[in-house]
Amino acid sequence: MTTPGGTPVAAPAAAGDTEGVGIAALDAGRTHRMPGWFVILWRNGKCRLGLLLLAAFVLVAVLAPYIAPFGPRVDAFATSQGPTGAHWLGTTAQGEDVYSQIVYGARTSLLVGVVAGTLSTLIAMAVGLTAGYLQGFVDEVLSFFVNLGLVVPVLPLMITLAAYAPVKGLGLIIVVITVTGWAHGARIKRAQIITLRTRDYVTAAKFAGDSTARIITHEIAPNMMSLIVVGFMSSALGAIGAEAGLAFLGLGDPQTTSWGTMLNQASLGGAMTTGQWAWVVAPGLILALLVTSFTLINFGVDALSNPHLRED
Amino acid sequence: MTLLQVEDLSVTYRPRDSAAVRAVNKVSFTVGHGEFVGLLGESGCGKSTLGHAVLRLLEKPASITGGTITFDGRDVTRLGEDELRPMRWTNLSTVFQSSMNSLNPVITVREQFADTLAAHPDIAGERVDVDERAGELLELVSLDRGVLRRYPHELSGGMKQRVALALALVLRPRFVLLDEPTTGLDVVVQRDILDRLRELQRSLGFAVLFISHDLGTVMEMADRVMVMYAGEIVEDQPAADMVAGQLHPYSVGLLGSYADPRDAVVDVAFTPGRPPDLSREHPGCLFEPRCPVSVDACRTKHPELLPARRGRARCLLVEVAPDGSARTPNASPRDRSGTVFSADAAARNRGPADGEPILVVEGVTKTYRTQRALGSTTTTAVDDVSFALRPGRVSALVGESGSGKSTLARLVTGVEKPGRGSIRFKDTRVDRLRRRALRGYRRHAQLVFQDPFSALNPTRTVAYALSRPLRNHLGMDGAQARRRAAELLEVVGLSPAAQFLDKLPGQLSGGQRQRVVIARALAPEPEVLVADEPISMLDVSIRAEILELLDQLVRDRGIAMLYITHDLLSARLLADEVMVLNKGVIVERGPTLKVIGEAQDPYTRRLLAAIPRPGQERAPAMAGRSDGAGQTQSLGRPPHGD
Repeated sequence: MTTPGGTPVAAPAAAGDTEGVGIAALDAGRTHRMPGWFVILWRNGKCRLGLLLLAAFVLVAVLAPYIAPFGPRVDAFATSQGPTGAHWLGTTAQGEDVYSQIVYGARTSLLVGVVAGTLSTLIAMAVGLTAGYLQGFVDEVLSFFVNLGLVVPVLPLMITLAAYAPVKGLGLIIVVITVTGWAHGARIKRAQIITLRTRDYVTAAKFAGDSTARIITHEIAPNMMSLIVVGFMSSALGAIGAEAGLAFLGLGDPQTTSWGTMLNQASLGGAMTTGQWAWVVAPGLILALLVTSFTLINFGVDALSNPHLRED
Repeated sequence: MTLLQVEDLSVTYRPRDSAAVRAVNKVSFTVGHGEFVGLLGESGCGKSTLGHAVLRLLEKPASITGGTITFDGRDVTRLGEDELRPMRWTNLSTVFQSSMNSLNPVITVREQFADTLAAHPDIAGERVDVDERAGELLELVSLDRGVLRRYPHELSGGMKQRVALALALVLRPRFVLLDEPTTGLDVVVQRDILDRLRELQRSLGFAVLFISHDLGTVMEMADRVMVMYAGEIVEDQPAADMVAGQLHPYSVGLLGSYADPRDAVVDVAFTPGRPPDLSREHPGCLFEPRCPVSVDACRTKHPELLPARRGRARCLLVEVAPDGSARTPNASPRDRSGTVFSADAAARNRGPADGEPILVVEGVTKTYRTQRALGSTTTTAVDDVSFALRPGRVSALVGESGSGKSTLARLVTGVEKPGRGSIRFKDTRVDRLRRRALRGYRRHAQLVFQDPFSALNPTRTVAYALSRPLRNHLGMDGAQARRRAAELLEVVGLSPAAQFLDKLPGQLSGGQRQRVVIARALAPEPEVLVADEPISMLDVSIRAEILELLDQLVRDRGIAMLYITHDLLSARLLADEVMVLNKGVIVERGPTLKVIGEAQDPYTRRLLAAIPRPGQERAPAMAGRSDGAGQTQSLGRPPHGD
C-alpha cells in the first residue's frame, strides 16, 4: 500500500537457471503503458471478466441518479405490479420502482464492501503483523483475541450487536461487520510475517539501523502485497454478504436502500404470493453477480504472487 | 553400446512477458550403458534445462523445440505422459538438489519405499520384501536399517539426501540423472555421499548423467565430461584427458578456479563477465566477449562442435590445431585468463599481527534449550571460545554446518547474547548492549550475508538498500545518501553506479547482488566486518572476484574481518589467521599456511580431504576416511539428539 511501484509484481520471476530471462521480462514489461500489476490481472480471462463486472457496478453506483428513472423512495406508483414497460422490474408493495432501487442499492453494497473491507484489513494487518513480528508475550495476548474472534459464532454476534445497538444506520452496520470480520485475515497475516521476519533482508534492515515499525511497513509489507489484496477482497466480499444478510433480517438501516433491505421488503410485501418474481430474483441475482466479480478478480490476484501461474 | 542418445536437442523458454530464450541449442550427445558422464557449466548455461528435457520434465514456458531423445532404442521425445509413466523410475530415475525435500513428511521412510515398489509391481515383483530390499539399499548409502522406521523430519539434510538416492535406485534403473545432488550439503557429507555413489554406480552398473557447477567433483567422479556454455556443448572429453589439457578456453577458465590450499603459492584464475543473453542472435562465438585468447574470426564465425583429440570441442582455435597441442599444454592460468587472484607463502602486506585488537571474544559459551515431549535438551553451540580481531587483518573461522560458526557470527554482531564469557569492542561490552546502544554498535560492526538472493529485499531498489544505513547511522539526508550510495557502488566495482542505483535485486546477477550486499555493509564505515560464507552461494567463476574485493577492502580501509567459511581454499586465499571450529570448540588455530599446510587435528584433515583435486589420486582423502573411522557415525545425527 505504501509502495505503488514496488509491489512484488515488478520483480520478475526469479526463474532459477535463467538470469537473462528476468531482465528480458522487464524490458517487455516496459512496452505496456499500464502498471505491471494491472497487465498481469488483465491477462487472466476470469480476472478480466471480474474487473469488467466490477467496473460496471462502480459505474452504475456513481451514475445512479442518471441511470435510474426514479428516486429509490418515490412511492407514487401503483403497488405490487409485475414488470411493465414503465417499471422494468415492477413496483414494490409501497409503490416504489424496483429497478431504481436496484440501481441505488449498488451504492450501499459497494460502500459497505469498500469501507468495511478496508477497516477490517487495517485491523487485521495491525494485529497480525504486530503479533507475528514481535512474537513472545505480545503475540500470546494478540493471538488470544484473534482466536476469540475466530471461534465466536459470527452471525448471532452480528445480529445481537445490530439489534441492541442504541443507534441505527449504515455506520453501525459497517462497525458490526468490521468487528466480527477481521480475525481471519489477522491469522493469515500473522502466519505470513512469521515466515518473512526471519529473511536475511530483515536482519539486514536491523543492521542498517531501521526501527521495527519501519521494517514492518517498508521491508515486509511490500512482500505480502498480494496476500493483503486477497485479504481485502475477501473481507469486502464478506461485508457485502453480511450487510445483505442483516438487512434481510430487518436489522439494516431502514433509511438506506440496499439489496438486502429490498429482499426484506419483498419478503414482507408478499412478493412470492403476488407472483412478483422480479422483485425477489433481481436483488438476489445482482448480489450474486457482485460477489462473483470479486471472486473472479481473486483468480488473477493469485497470479500476482505466483509468477508460475502467469504462464497459462 | 548407447543407452541414451540425444540428437540436435533444442529447448526454448517462451515466457509471456519477454522474448523467447533458446536455453538449449542443438545439443547432441550419447551416454553408454554404465557410463558416468559429467555435465559442467556455470549457472544459466542450460545444464538443468537439458537434464529436465531428457527426463521429459519440462514445464511451461519451456518446451522441446527440436531434435530427438532416444532411450534404449525408443524415441521418447514425443511420448505421452501415460507412456512415460511406466518408464520413469524403472528405467530413468533422478536425484535433484532438492530431492531431500521430496520425501513425504507424513509417512516413514519404509512406507516411501513400499509405495515406490507397489507402484511398479511388474518390475519389483508382486510380493516383495520391503524391509529386505530397502534395508539393503540404505546400507549401500551408509545409512542404518533403523532409518526405515523414521519420519523425514527426524533425519538431517545429508541423511535425507541419501534416502532420496537409495529411493532412486530401488527399482534398479539403468539411467540416473543427478542434478547437483550434493550442492548445499556439508562438505564432508558431500564427500561421503559422492564416494558412495561412485562405488554404487560401479557395482550396480547404471549409467549416470551428473550435472554440477562444481568442476572439481565432476572431474574426479566422471568417466567423461561435457562442458556447456550458453546452451551449447563446447567441450566433450574423457575426464582424464580434460584434466591433462582442456580444449576450450572456457574450460580452462573453469579449471583455473581450483587449487590446492596447501601449496606454497595458490593461484586462482577467473573469467570475468556473464553468459550472453540468449534471447538475441549472436553471429560469432558465444564465449568471445569473455574469451582471453579470442581472435578476429571469433567475432563473426560461429564455431561447430568438431572432433578434437579423443573428444569434441567448439572453438575456432582448436580447429586450427585439432590436437590442441598449439595452445593448451603447459600454459598456466596466468597466461590466458583475464584475472588472477593469488596468495603466496609470504606474509601479507596488511595490519600488524600484534596490533591492538579492536574486538576481543573471551571464553564465550552459548547453549540452546529445545523443548521436547518430556523435558528439554540442551545443545552447546559454542563452547569456551576466545579470539581477537585486529584492524587490517582477516581471521577465518572454518567448520562444517552445525559447528557453531554462524552462532559466533550472531554473538559477535550482537544478534544473540552469550550464556557465559564476554565480547568487547574497544571499551564496549557487546554482550550487554540493549536496543538503542546495540543500534549504535552496528555502526561499527556490520555483517555480509551468505545468500545474496535473500539478503536484498526483492521489492526495494539498490539505492534504497544502501541509503538506509547512511541515513540511520551517519545522519545523511536523501540527496547526500544517494551520492554516497553511488560512490559505494563504485568502490565495490559496480560502475557506472548510475546504472545500478535504481535497479531491483531481481535485475542483478548473483555476483552483482553480493557486491551490493558488501556495499551496504560498508556504508556506515564499520571497523569490524563479519562475512558469513559470502561466496558459498555463488558460482565458482565469480567467487574469486568477490574474494579479491574483500581483500582489497581489508587492505584499503584497515577493516578487521571475521571470515566464516567451510572452504579451506578461500580461507587460504583471504585470511591471515585460521581457526578451525568443531562442535563449538576451536580445535586448531594459527597462521593460515601453518594450519592448512601442517594440519594436526583429524577434523581439519578431514576438511582438507574433502576438497576435490581433479586429476590427482585421492590417496590422502582415503587416508582421511580411515582416520575418521567413526565418520558415518558422527555425521548422522543421533535419532533423538539435538
